Amino acid sequence: MTFYATQVLKMEKAIYPKKHLTRQLIQSKHFIDQHFGKPLQLDQIAAEGFLSKFYFVRLFKSLYGCSPYQYLIWVRIENAKQLLGAGFSLSDVCTAVGFESVTSFIGLFKKMTGYTPASYQKKNSNLREPGFRKN
Amino acid sequence: MVSDQDKALKFYTEVLGFVKKIEVPMGEHKWLTVVSREEQGGVELLLEPMGFEPAKTFQKELFKAGIPLTAFHVDDVEMEYKRLTQQGVIFSMKPTQMGPTKIAVFNDTCGNNIQLVQML
Repeated sequence: MTFYATQVLKMEKAIYPKKHLTRQLIQSKHFIDQHFGKPLQLDQIAAEGFLSKFYFVRLFKSLYGCSPYQYLIWVRIENAKQLLGAGFSLSDVCTAVGFESVTSFIGLFKKMTGYTPASYQKKNSNLREPGFRKN
Repeated sequence: MVSDQDKALKFYTEVLGFVKKIEVPMGEHKWLTVVSREEQGGVELLLEPMGFEPAKTFQKELFKAGIPLTAFHVDDVEMEYKRLTQQGVIFSMKPTQMGPTKIAVFNDTCGNNIQLVQML
């Protein structure tokens, strides 16, 4: 076993001693990954991992480095990028990834990518297969 | 930093699945970059020639200790491990869970360990 592999195993034991909590947290995160397109409540996400919402938020931040809400927004924007790249319309993408308001979608998209959804779509349209248009 | 740019280009494109972006001859070496197939307008990975003697020592020691030079994010480490081992890639660390991540480390055949990371 290499020096690095040994260090990883040591760190795993020291930093993540409670494996069941990590498992529960991952379960909640998977719930976000699978249901990001629907309106999600914090209570509901935390309950998926059998955690109280306050403990869930604290644990999520310590393991993933961001809040569950920030992660949810990130997942939605990443999926929006794919759908925009595939040629779907702004309003269809907005609804599909779980945003209720087009205005807040545009604002968050610009904040996280540096582009408006329309300019992002234009920039990536040359990567699309010829003739592939859905809007 | 790669020990052989042509060998590196072959490995990073044909085995790992990157796409060549820039190849500009610069005397003995070249400015050579590859990008992710899924995000060809994204970050470019420079396959930099090993032209600085002390860097060779650094690379050699990192490699010996099994420390990755860099890491690539993937959707499924187990799947990549299976795909790459079938192509003869050698892993110094099999897929291993590290808290909320799963990691694995392989030899890029050009003097480096590369880590794959999956957020679980």
